Amino acid sequence: MTVKLEVSDLNARFGSKRVLYDLSLALPDRAVTAIIGPSGCGKSTFLRCLNRLHEETPGASVTGTIRLDGEDLRLLDPVAVRFRIGMVFQKPTPFPNLSIYENVAAGLRLLGVRRRQELDDGVVDALLHAGLWEEVEQDVDAPGTSLSGGQQQRLCIARALAVQPEVLLMDEPCSALDPIATHRIETLIGRLRKEYTVVLVTHNLAQARRVADHTAFFYLGKLVEFGATAGIFESPQEKLTENYVTGRFG
Amino acid sequence: MGPPSPSAPEGGPLVSPSEPDPSGRRLLPARLRLLRALELAFHGGTALAAAAILLFVAALLLVLVEGAAPSFLRFGPGFLSGSAWDGVHNLYGAYPAIVGTLLSSGLALLFAVPVALGVAVFLSEIAPPWLREPLTYVVDLSAAVPSVVYGFWAFFVLVPLMRGTIEPGLAAATGGAFPFSGAPNGLDLLSASLVLAVMILPTIAALSREALRAVPRANREAALSLGATRWEATRVAVLGPARGGIVAGIVLGLGRAMGETIAVAMVIGNIYLTPVSFFSPAQTLASLIVNNFTGVGIGLERSALFEAGLLLLVLTLGVNALARLLLARRSPEGMVRGASSLTRAIRRLRPHHPSVGSPRAALAAAALVGGDPKLPTERWSRHLRGRAPSNLRRRHGMEWIVLGLCLGALAVAVLPLASVLQTAVDRGGSAAVHPSFYVSENPLGCNPGPNRSCSVGGIGPEIEGTLIVLGVGALFAMPVGILAGIYLSEYGRRSRSRFGRSVSFLADVLTGVPTILVGVLVFAIFLQYDHDSASSALSGGVALGLVMLPIVTRATEEALRTVSVAVREAALALGFTRQRTSLRVVLGAARGAVVTGALLGLSRAAGDTAALFVTAGSSSFWFQGLNQPTATLTPFIFSNFGSEYGNLQADAWGAALVLLLLMLLISLVSRIAVRGHRPSAEV
Repeated sequence: MTVKLEVSDLNARFGSKRVLYDLSLALPDRAVTAIIGPSGCGKSTFLRCLNRLHEETPGASVTGTIRLDGEDLRLLDPVAVRFRIGMVFQKPTPFPNLSIYENVAAGLRLLGVRRRQELDDGVVDALLHAGLWEEVEQDVDAPGTSLSGGQQQRLCIARALAVQPEVLLMDEPCSALDPIATHRIETLIGRLRKEYTVVLVTHNLAQARRVADHTAFFYLGKLVEFGATAGIFESPQEKLTENYVTGRFG
Repeated sequence: MGPPSPSAPEGGPLVSPSEPDPSGRRLLPARLRLLRALELAFHGGTALAAAAILLFVAALLLVLVEGAAPSFLRFGPGFLSGSAWDGVHNLYGAYPAIVGTLLSSGLALLFAVPVALGVAVFLSEIAPPWLREPLTYVVDLSAAVPSVVYGFWAFFVLVPLMRGTIEPGLAAATGGAFPFSGAPNGLDLLSASLVLAVMILPTIAALSREALRAVPRANREAALSLGATRWEATRVAVLGPARGGIVAGIVLGLGRAMGETIAVAMVIGNIYLTPVSFFSPAQTLASLIVNNFTGVGIGLERSALFEAGLLLLVLTLGVNALARLLLARRSPEGMVRGASSLTRAIRRLRPHHPSVGSPRAALAAAALVGGDPKLPTERWSRHLRGRAPSNLRRRHGMEWIVLGLCLGALAVAVLPLASVLQTAVDRGGSAAVHPSFYVSENPLGCNPGPNRSCSVGGIGPEIEGTLIVLGVGALFAMPVGILAGIYLSEYGRRSRSRFGRSVSFLADVLTGVPTILVGVLVFAIFLQYDHDSASSALSGGVALGLVMLPIVTRATEEALRTVSVAVREAALALGFTRQRTSLRVVLGAARGAVVTGALLGLSRAAGDTAALFVTAGSSSFWFQGLNQPTATLTPFIFSNFGSEYGNLQADAWGAALVLLLLMLLISLVSRIAVRGHRPSAEV
């Protein structure tokens, strides 16, 4: 198992409030890692540290090292980092004034792709990858916001995939979706694991169980346990983990 | 905040008589009836207040149309193309004023928009949080400077600069080619446009900033996480969605510019000729009215002025209505960008058969349908992966360029305010530091010389008169405005009634109607029904009240609408009547913002010159009675800014300084009030 992202001694704050405490974690390459834990345990903040988005929040600060393929993220340009590490948010965030096509093409355009053919290929591939192509091929010029919630979320995934990142961060991507849309996204995640390192924050324990290869349990800003998903759910080493995965709190 | 506990706001719970109320008492039917009656009276009363807005618009239209009729009958459409304003031969045409209005406001827009956008982007997207609020405050403050003060400043600072340096420079650089032909004299179209630009800049900047701020943070983060620089995130994810609001702000600024009266009249040169260059002295519809209105009794000229007023009303109403419609339009579908050839190509190639078409897409789709998810993955071109974007340097460079431009815009935006303050302190400070300045009458005109000292005098009567006139206006505008606002928020919007929506819309549009027209309306009505007090404190007060009314109404409505529905429903669920919910719970929760709205209306009225100039009459005496002409601050400045007497001019500057400080104080107080009771939208 190769390590894609190596986190050591990560601390994050909002102003004076500490959110993450001395987190160390190695995220394996081409696998799905789920982050679980009760609300407010720092799951989302952790995810936002991984693509250096946390530092864009006013008053936020981070210490500790994160390495992407051994390279310290702090030494890289944050723009380049976010280009290599894509992100999908809890609520679908299609750019409301852009069409489906332009939403997916947005990242490519930023990279300076101008040729129509190249754009078309990238957009189609990304939409295919996200499993949305068939539903939208008749009208990719429709506004991105005209899609249903589940479709919007897949559009956002397509948008993130279009620039061909190495890592995909997903922050509770299904929490705003109905079961069918959730299922489609989970299938999609299952397909993505062959190509991408996926880090999935989820509230839904069953989802973590279904799609994740590895699972990390966070509690109050600390990493309690990390290991193969089956191990976490069936034979947790820590009492806290056991209580959480068996539904005794959370 | 949770639902209010039953004991917190006390008010008769409207429980059906059969059920015991929480305290164990039984509600008597009589009390119920009283509550119902109160409710009905409240609903009716607020609706009546809202109807006042409709009445106002109707009166405005009627009076102007009626006044314009003789001129219209005499000149017909020739009024629009005629270029004479000739009292001797009784020939009137508005063409030069129409051209002057369109040119000056168009040029002003051209100057103001880029700067305003830079300021808005800086304030909303770039400035660090600790800098945002003070800077926003400074920019907003420049919107509070009365137009007469801007005009005064422009006359003494901007015009000499234009005449002495900038215009000759422009003429030399272009060889006097159009539009820089003719002799530069400073009092011309270009100067007027610059003053207008300074005046509308804060409006456009504020509305654009709000439009930008209204874009959810998630949009920015989505763009950032895609690998956008901060400027790119702004461009892709913020400016696009905010475009409607920004355009509305620009259109609103245009309306402001077309209706601006006093400052323009002070610097545009006031010569009734169609401008042929930037250096032509000119006249706008508004300046034409204010320059000719007083002293014109009856006759064709007055009617022609009414017709010019009607034109101005139609222009500004139209522009403002457009802006409001743009602001109200919330469907993003109308502005989707994305002219991709892909859809068209697909449609052309495979109108009915999904299996033929763009070979790549069809192949990949077939692969996916066929259950082999590998194909698209393998086809995945990998030329982007694992490489840093090659254009990063250029993109970061762009970020710096944008930062520089925005900083420059901010400097340009703040400069006039600084210069206005400095000039006012310089020229009016020495008069304004004497305590006697605030309590003594205007001095006799006199020029200080080597062996001659002049009495400083003061502006006591003007201060007194202004307070009285403002009081008269507030006396009816505040209650009516607040009640109308309550109606619009609590009854009108909720029931989606056509009446409510049109009143709200009209109130919005009315805030953009030039105050000179409000003055003309009040003056004409008084002239007809109470001839002797046409120029009086009362008529001035009514005019200022009408200036305040739409502002207070809309501000109240907006303030109440920030209180969430959940709070209202919680109160209603406790058995509160609508009326009690509105008065106790909703108004209580939003009182800070309501007070701010009232203050805003008051300060707008206090800074207004055009309406007062037409209605309050002129006087330099202490208050003589409500039906007598009265001295007021802004017309005093307007009448004396070009005075040949040094001491009168110094007094006018002193008055300008006092006004400025007053506006500063009001906006400071309102800022604190808002901060004190910020009505939280997320209650």
